[in-house]
Amino acid sequence: MATVAPAAVHSPATAWHHRHLIDVDVITWPEIELIMRTTEEMKGILARPIRKVPALNGRRVTTLFYEASTRTRVSFETAARNLSADVVSISTATSSVTKGESLVDTVRTLEALGAEILVMRHSVSGAPYLAAEVFGGHVLNGGDGWHAHPTQALLDLFTMRENLPGGDLRGRKVVIVGDILHSRVARSNIWTLTAAGADLWLCGPATLLRGMDRWAAAWSGGAIPGHGRFNVTSDIAAALRDADVVMGLRIQRERMQSGLLPSLREYAAMFQLNAERVSLAKPDAIVMHPGPMNEGVEISPDVAVSGRSVITDQVSNGVAVRMALMYLLAGAHEAAHGEVVR
Amino acid sequence: MTEGDPGSGASAAGPRVGETVERFELERAWLVDPVSGREGPGEIVVTDGILESVVWLEGDEAAGVTDAGVVVAPGLFDLHAHFREPGFEDAETVATGSAAAAHGGFTTVALMPNTSPAADDPSVVERIRSAARASGSPVEVLVYGAVSAGRAGEQLSAMGELADAGVLGYSDDGAPVRTAGLLRSALLYAGMLGLPIVEHAEDPELTAGAEANEGYVASVLGLAGWPTAGEVNAVARDLAVLADALGDQPAARLHLTHVSTAAALDLVRRARAAGLPVTCDVTPHHLAFTDEWLAGARRWAWEALGADGSPRDPWADGVLTAVPYNTSLRVNPPLRTAADAAACLAALIDGTADAVATDHAPHTVVDKEVEFGQAASGISGIETALGILLSLVDAGRLPLARAVAALTTGPASVAAASARTAGMPAARPRGLIEGAPADLVVFDRSDNWRVATESLRSRGKNSPLIGRELPGRVLVTIASGRLAYADPDAGSE
Repeated sequence: MATVAPAAVHSPATAWHHRHLIDVDVITWPEIELIMRTTEEMKGILARPIRKVPALNGRRVTTLFYEASTRTRVSFETAARNLSADVVSISTATSSVTKGESLVDTVRTLEALGAEILVMRHSVSGAPYLAAEVFGGHVLNGGDGWHAHPTQALLDLFTMRENLPGGDLRGRKVVIVGDILHSRVARSNIWTLTAAGADLWLCGPATLLRGMDRWAAAWSGGAIPGHGRFNVTSDIAAALRDADVVMGLRIQRERMQSGLLPSLREYAAMFQLNAERVSLAKPDAIVMHPGPMNEGVEISPDVAVSGRSVITDQVSNGVAVRMALMYLLAGAHEAAHGEVVR
Repeated sequence: MTEGDPGSGASAAGPRVGETVERFELERAWLVDPVSGREGPGEIVVTDGILESVVWLEGDEAAGVTDAGVVVAPGLFDLHAHFREPGFEDAETVATGSAAAAHGGFTTVALMPNTSPAADDPSVVERIRSAARASGSPVEVLVYGAVSAGRAGEQLSAMGELADAGVLGYSDDGAPVRTAGLLRSALLYAGMLGLPIVEHAEDPELTAGAEANEGYVASVLGLAGWPTAGEVNAVARDLAVLADALGDQPAARLHLTHVSTAAALDLVRRARAAGLPVTCDVTPHHLAFTDEWLAGARRWAWEALGADGSPRDPWADGVLTAVPYNTSLRVNPPLRTAADAAACLAALIDGTADAVATDHAPHTVVDKEVEFGQAASGISGIETALGILLSLVDAGRLPLARAVAALTTGPASVAAASARTAGMPAARPRGLIEGAPADLVVFDRSDNWRVATESLRSRGKNSPLIGRELPGRVLVTIASGRLAYADPDAGSE
């Protein structure tokens, strides 16, 4: 088996020094570039006949999922196995609302059982910070509540760069359409895409955009170092016009029960990414979706499988990004271990 | 204080907690008397539990005595605390809560009835009182009765019997009185009895599932928003019902506790201007902390205010130094923006808010060391209230005399506003009054103390200030002539 040793990892200027990856908010642009380069290397491995390298041989990766998500869990576990890590998989149907073992106790137990990298999915925003406070290894966030989904944002960025001429997001119009309020994917993408210099638009019904205008207003003056302004609108035509990237988000049935949407039918009529709407975007625009899709609701089946769709690229790039992040975290310098978990 | 060791300076040990203070003298301190409105250099002598003399120093005698050193003030009065007994003794007991109160400079505390069982009949009130007596602490423990039986919001509690048992008022705190109809009945009935309704103003329809103040910070952190409208709507309801009830019962009285938003305080301000008999309090945490602390910022609210009066941006300012989603910051109502905190302070200064009340809400590690959205709401705050107000004084935002008044004459004026409570000892003038039982706190503004799990007497270690220093170490607290607290290091120099 070949070894993996991306040259970039050894460059002192861009050495990885984060002990955990909980959100992309603390990741600098040079660090994002490092992740992108490392992902490129990992993609090279995935293109080989034998897609396995011994980089994490003997290292123990545990996936702890408090929320059902077969595809994300399988993506992380495939990534870990491609790096020859030992994988332990734990799914728990319910959160601690039912007063089972607390998260803190579970994490301590997993550490005692040898977990070194903890991949965590949780329905409560911020939960991985709590895990990181008690865990001696590395926490890799697989999605927490409405807050963050950093590996998704990074695989989205990688996929966009791969598919856009020149591989540069600067000035490119990226539109995310759907349930922004409840979306950790949208939140993490705000950090990465504004850092990339994209012209970011968030679009959806007013009830599912709530609060995002305040965030957009706070950033409108360019006050945040490394991050730019973004737009929030319910005008789907204005959002899609001349877009380079169009990303749909899943609309959940619960949103009607909680009084946020009249019906899925009405959502589809007003906001579905169908051929007619997507034609407002640039002719070579790409269509993305983090999955799982409700075809016929937020995206029409023909758009989902059209030549513009890079949705399956997202899935395969997801494995490469997760390999890259596990590799970087596992190699994080010991000196980083004393730092604040952010 | 080592017993049976004659060489250890037994004389310095002085009285124990609960014992009458036979002799206590303080020379050349800064005295603050919020009743007379006077502050300045002075001396006090306590003999046999009585404040025997209060001497104001003039001229050369006063030279060098400033308000930046040792200060003597009347004992503090907390209108809103949770001592968790009966039912949640892992979080606090009347004994540990009283010790914490005394450490915080408080000599009178009023306890909310959301115990288990709720204090909705006199037996629970008596149980709490007997725990207070058994604690040996001289801190006066007052009790609110529940508005509704079991705090269930359906029918009135045993209000008349509770009045006879000496409750300070009625509250379903932890939640608002469930319906406007029940609130109307409660205001009429309590008014008949000469007691106030103390209301936790929250519209649960607007706050279901809420985790943090709705706004920029909650949006970035992906936390479900608790909107300003959730408080404004409830305060508007409460004021409308009060105005209506007054037509039938002129003695109806309403106290709004832990008001946290600029908009709700404006409603209170207008209601008071219109002559409605409504009082209100604000908490130390809503004065000092903001929602940006959830993201990891740790600057005071007044440092987070932009020049134009709007909150500064903690991400832009690069002030996120702590781990985000710290559950000790989960509190209801939630920490608001720097503009809301400034409005709480303005309300305190202009008198819209009568008092600062701690909403001391101790919780166990089991209930707090969990995911943010699943953590119990509340801050353990009775020991840090004085230090927070003194931080405002240090920052030049609040005069020392006003800070003291907010914790003494302010709460006493709330108690004095209802017929029955006006006759209670708690409503007495809280000044430095010669010949009265000594009830005072001595603190040193030149001496910081470190907030730590070991330094807090409360069982609730859920303070966002753990690890930080606060000004104004409390040296001595004397309640009703008896020792409530003495700094263990004092007198050892």
